[in-house]
Amino acid sequence: MKSFSSNCDPQLLQRSLEDVLSEQQEEWLESHLEDCATCQQQLTELAGDADGWSRVEAVLREEISGTHPLGRGIISTLIPGNLESPVQSSRRFGREILPADFAVDFLEPGREPDSLGRLNDIEIRAIIGHGGNGIVLKGYQKELNRLVAVKVMAPQLAANAEARKRFAREAQATAAIVHPNVMPILTVHSRSQLPYLVMPYVDCESLQQRLDREGSLPTLDVLRIGHQVARGLAAAHAQGLVHRDVKPANILLERGVDRVMLTDFGLARAVDDATLTSTGLIAGTPQYMSPEQARGDSVCTQSDLFSFGSVMYAMSTGRPPFRAQTSYGIIRRVIDDDPRPIGDLNSEIPIWLEGLIERLLAKHRDARFTSADEVAFLLQECIAHVQQPHSNPLPQTVKSLAKTRRRTQRAKGTQLRIQLIMLASLAVTLVVILIASGAFDRETNPDNPVGENPYQQNELTTSAPIKSRGESAAAWNDGIGEDLQQLDVEMDRLLEKLDLSELNEHETSNQPKGQ
Amino acid sequence: MDQPETRHSLIAHLKGGDNERAWVEFVTLYEPFLQHLVIRLGVPQRDVADVVQQVLLTIAKSVDGWKDDGQSASFRRWLTTVARNIVIKFMHKERRQVGGRGGSHFVELLEQVPATPDREQIARYEHELIVWAAEQVRHEFIDTSWTAFWATVIDGQLVKDVANQLGITCGSIYMSRSRIMARIRRKVDEVLDDALTTEDHP
Repeated sequence: MKSFSSNCDPQLLQRSLEDVLSEQQEEWLESHLEDCATCQQQLTELAGDADGWSRVEAVLREEISGTHPLGRGIISTLIPGNLESPVQSSRRFGREILPADFAVDFLEPGREPDSLGRLNDIEIRAIIGHGGNGIVLKGYQKELNRLVAVKVMAPQLAANAEARKRFAREAQATAAIVHPNVMPILTVHSRSQLPYLVMPYVDCESLQQRLDREGSLPTLDVLRIGHQVARGLAAAHAQGLVHRDVKPANILLERGVDRVMLTDFGLARAVDDATLTSTGLIAGTPQYMSPEQARGDSVCTQSDLFSFGSVMYAMSTGRPPFRAQTSYGIIRRVIDDDPRPIGDLNSEIPIWLEGLIERLLAKHRDARFTSADEVAFLLQECIAHVQQPHSNPLPQTVKSLAKTRRRTQRAKGTQLRIQLIMLASLAVTLVVILIASGAFDRETNPDNPVGENPYQQNELTTSAPIKSRGESAAAWNDGIGEDLQQLDVEMDRLLEKLDLSELNEHETSNQPKGQ
Repeated sequence: MDQPETRHSLIAHLKGGDNERAWVEFVTLYEPFLQHLVIRLGVPQRDVADVVQQVLLTIAKSVDGWKDDGQSASFRRWLTTVARNIVIKFMHKERRQVGGRGGSHFVELLEQVPATPDREQIARYEHELIVWAAEQVRHEFIDTSWTAFWATVIDGQLVKDVANQLGITCGSIYMSRSRIMARIRRKVDEVLDDALTTEDHP
């Protein structure tokens, strides 16, 4: 890698198009491309000949100009939303899609002046967030005099009988988890037009919001939040439930109280079903996925531990452990790469905590801790240690992890061997995915019948999540909602944009009037 | 969900082997595009799956007409061309009946594989493919990358200006926009294969 300095490397350019560069190579190439006109030119040519570029350009221009017969009246998701240009802003004007659109049919007329509509006994007052999985509404139950959050399943999922069944089953199972660190579910309506579930409305922010605002957290906070999440997970695992979508956006921090709640149980599972394509991968951001999930393999409670490890990493460093520009790039890193050592990014994190997180992030599930319960216990001991180091020694397991870490850093040979194993398992994975891509044809030969294309394998791995997302969004939009596509994965992010506390205060002051 | 059934009946036609594999792969790649297309054609939501199914079925039924030309990937090339012609025909029919119900009557309409479509029809088909591919690919990239691609390639703004506006480096714009272009073309090629350049017909 050092030899690249000031030399142009066409191979690196080609690999950049395939999105298989390491983080360092990517950084290097980025700065090299800044000034090297030759490489800029060459990269452009590698991506496609002049004819190819201009054909795509012409089509996309025609598409957004609205002159194309089929494109007319359809909201394009192609136009980026975060750049101001005269053409775009004028086009975007009037294209705003009300997030309530899909809920309009669904709600009955409200009985209160400030109500958007009614859902059985709940007066809906606001939309908290929305995305591909569904919509989250804020409601008020008059009889019980309480605020609730209502999560409504997206229509394209509701159309799938299997997804509905799972939704019901999982939601019921979740309702059975009674634990202070798990967001409770009050009611499940799985047989209504669109299934929905009702949760208490809690004044909170998500861990994602906090990380966005503050970056990395102090060690004690990492431990405290981690401890409670681990306890919530343990409670779920005790019920035989795998969360499968542990990420900062699904971890809620109650305001003013030192309480952490895990949310979005089971929904992830229902989502997988409807969007599971024949290629066997799931949609969604893969940043916190475990390697087995990223490969489309079966998941178990240890998979949640990996995701939990990613969350711990994010709290310690302010960024998720595996980052890349594309979903495929992320998946590849989740499967292949070791994250940058936490100590490199935040030297204040003690080495034993770093070791603990690395163990959670072990590529192989058996190399992680045995249970969330064990992790919760260890974290509790760690908290005691940090608060009073003299009277509370670190648990032996954690102490030994700190040592392990120093040793692996020196043992390059071991690392090489691990990489070889990873490579082999990746190869196996690709074959598995190839086979899975012919889901109904179990005898499909994994040979590549289409051609010599060197990207073929990457293609199959990468196309799945994208395709599934496209499909589900396409099914949903019904001709008007293509803009909603881009919200698909961003449900939680949208949630965060709304200041829940502000809403809540507003709500409380309004309450007497509402009655 | 009657999908597997169609596939099943077709599999009988294909009698296993390379062609069966080519079909499986073709459907996997083609179906999402068909779905997109059918929605764009204004077919009501509840009928989308049905119509997609009908089109696939029509393609499947035409398998009987295939003759091996002895060249490589003969079946796949042929399949792509037939699919294109059927879809073009479908686009034509369906546009005249937007708002009408999609359903079994399409099968009859589509039964006769059309003669060679004209240049304009092919261009329209290609347009749909590229738009579809771009929409698929868009989600693989973070917003900033896509915005940079759009601003510099489609809107024709200067890389330097866009980099400033977005607070990223020019280098990263060069990198991500080429990546996006390569992906779009790749996506199109998967479905298109070489059918649009090779004018062979059953």
